[in-house]
Amino acid sequence: MNEMRSILEESVNRLFADELDWDALTRIEQQGWPASLWEQVCAQGIDRVLASEAAGGMAGSWGDVYPLLRACGRYAVPLPIAEANLCHWLARQAHAELPAGVPGLVSQEVFVDSTHVTVTDARVPWGSQAQTLVVVHAGELLITATSGLEITREDNIGRDPRDHVSGRAEILSRSPLAVPADTVHLLGALIRSAQIAGGAAAALDLAVQYASEREQFGRPLSKFQAIQHHLADLAGLVASADAIVMSACEVFDQRGIAGAGRDARFEIAVAKCRTSEAVEKITRLSHQIHGAIGFTYEYGLHFVSRRLWAWRAEFGGSSEWGEYLGRAAVEQGGDGLWPLITD
Amino acid sequence: MAASIADSLRFEPCEFPASLVELRREVREFLRQELGSYSVVKRSQSWEAYDAEFSAKLGAKGWIGMTLPTAYGGHGRSAFERYVVVEECLVAGAPTAFHWVADRQSGPLIVRYATEAQKQEIIPKITAGKACFAIGMSEPNSGSDLASLRSRAERTDNGWLVNGTKIWTSNAHRADYMIALFRTDSDPDKKHAALSQFVIDLSQVKGITPRPIQNLAGGRNFNEVSFVDVELPPEALIGTEGEGWKQVTEELAYERSGPERYLSCFFLLRQLVDAIKDTASAATLARLGGQIAWATTLRNMSLSIAAKLHAGEDPLLAAAVVKDLGCQFEQGLPGLAQELCELEPTLEGCGTDYQQVLGSLVQLAPSFSLRGGTPEIMHGIIAKGMGIR
Ligand SMILES: Cc1cc2nc3c(=O)[nH]c(=O)nc-3n(C[C@H](O)[C@H](O)[C@H](O)COP(=O)(O)OP(=O)(O)OC[C@H]3O[C@@H](n4cnc5c(N)ncnc54)[C@H](O)[C@@H]3O)c2cc1C
Repeated sequence: MNEMRSILEESVNRLFADELDWDALTRIEQQGWPASLWEQVCAQGIDRVLASEAAGGMAGSWGDVYPLLRACGRYAVPLPIAEANLCHWLARQAHAELPAGVPGLVSQEVFVDSTHVTVTDARVPWGSQAQTLVVVHAGELLITATSGLEITREDNIGRDPRDHVSGRAEILSRSPLAVPADTVHLLGALIRSAQIAGGAAAALDLAVQYASEREQFGRPLSKFQAIQHHLADLAGLVASADAIVMSACEVFDQRGIAGAGRDARFEIAVAKCRTSEAVEKITRLSHQIHGAIGFTYEYGLHFVSRRLWAWRAEFGGSSEWGEYLGRAAVEQGGDGLWPLITD
Repeated sequence: MAASIADSLRFEPCEFPASLVELRREVREFLRQELGSYSVVKRSQSWEAYDAEFSAKLGAKGWIGMTLPTAYGGHGRSAFERYVVVEECLVAGAPTAFHWVADRQSGPLIVRYATEAQKQEIIPKITAGKACFAIGMSEPNSGSDLASLRSRAERTDNGWLVNGTKIWTSNAHRADYMIALFRTDSDPDKKHAALSQFVIDLSQVKGITPRPIQNLAGGRNFNEVSFVDVELPPEALIGTEGEGWKQVTEELAYERSGPERYLSCFFLLRQLVDAIKDTASAATLARLGGQIAWATTLRNMSLSIAAKLHAGEDPLLAAAVVKDLGCQFEQGLPGLAQELCELEPTLEGCGTDYQQVLGSLVQLAPSFSLRGGTPEIMHGIIAKGMGIR
């Protein structure tokens, strides 16, 4: 791992570990938007690891930002850090300037005229906090104002805002951006995969810790072979989720998604398909190991579990991406299946 | 926060050096030409299918014992080059059982521990694809609990005297050599430390009788092997007396993380794609795609371990994870294929190619979670690696 990555990893893990214990997460769920924590995040540049240096960012790669995205999952971070980084990456590609404040990532279809972007019931993460909307449309990156938009709040089951946004948004800037039309959907899938990998890591660590401490029949749960099987199974799933997302980030950095031939599209599809599918067993096993305490609000396993269930569905789940891969396979035919994976 | 298990179990991505593209192309082309005449059932069995002629051809290409030193007739090539050849053979359904064990573990073991004379004699045969090795470890009363094995090798004036019984010994009835694990010390307190490894030239010794055991599909690959007053020369001991267990476990990370741990049914997956390609619903494609996602993920993990081994690490825990996940994946494929495609499994020579391959692998699948260590035992190793056992 290069130095920038390890420094970033260490500093974000420290920040989140300090600021986001279960009490803090509980408070934020009750009180809403944690403005001061967001300010801290922005002050440390964590929202813009992928932004250009001119924009105050680190001009990082997706491999560089993966430790951060994973940490966002691990600590159930209730802030649009992943989304902000994606918006900054888009701005960097388009040489566009992203105004200060929370950017609202739009992944749905929009209508664009010479002055406005019309959105119809887009689900925008932290839409009610957003000062701008960030839209990729027909070879352009559009950045709009949010004044005058109709915004209805709705949280996903992780209690993270996925607000409904409709109306005509005034265009602040438009820049040519030569990326495929589904770029936001694909990179959205990548960031959710990374968050799942992080949430899964937290579920494993909590389960191992709990099983080592909780005693029944006179010994720690972890000494029962049945529980060891659960934990070993869980460890394999967690490690495989991490492995495939790390790989997808590296492949994206090397090959992008706009090139001809085999690009990162395949690897991202694999990552989101695998991580989404793994959520079921990861949450089932980690809860089983915890017994009833894991089903309480007081014990914080649910902060990651509920997000894992939300993230597996967002930006396409295992069926959507599985179908994409299955279709690619039948198009290649049996003889082309292995080259699809290796070449 | 306590030390994170998740952070201690990571599989950093590893890209093959670009120079391997040409080798891969060459291997593919060779296999395409060679394998056309083999039956699909034989191909579906890949590293279980024994074919001396094929192994000799592969050896002639320089693709067996690739990583062994050139001084002994090896090719001095990298672990990644070998990895490419192995995975291409598996996916193409090449019958590699004849040289499999020699290439994967016996060759490296001999280079590491055997005498100069043994190296000079044996390694060139291995690299030529002309030496078949068997592994004599399991016994009737010692399977998962291998260290409880009872076959004994006693020191004599002329070497060693061996008595006992091995079982499930693949290819013992047609192998040239056997690497066997025997008890060399009767001290009951030394369970592991009383075991030693031997290399046996099966053409030179008397008293070894293999009896093939038919498997459920009708094949005869593994054997019960009896040893009655077998006299071995002193140099048959390989490595250090009493360190057999250590020597055996040294090779385990290689054995458990190789591409054969998830690719055993890839030939079926290829056939399945063609069998359903015109009729598959979206739901079926999604299930198929899920398997492709698994295969890709496992390949990344297996390669990541190859890189760790290459760098001199000993990732035993990570290898157990790959073996466990790979086994779940490959063992699940025949059942899934049956679900996705309503065609009956058939015996060799009946039905379509796809049906024959399905018929073959449905029957072989139970063995995937036995050979090389069971999932229950892998889970124990993983639990130990996590510090909870
Ligand atoms: C096709 C094939 C080829 C083989 N080739 C060879 C070969 O060439 N050379 C060789 O030496 N061996 C070979 N083997 C043997 C193989 O290594 C053994 O089958 C394996 O080690 C398991 O031993 P066992 O069959 O005696 O099962 P057992 O050890 O009796 O186990 C039976 C069941 O009990 C479970 N179990 C055992 N102990 C525990 C425990 N502590 N906790 C929980 N569950 C447990 C096992 O996981 C398994 O599910 C081969 C096997 C097969 C199927």
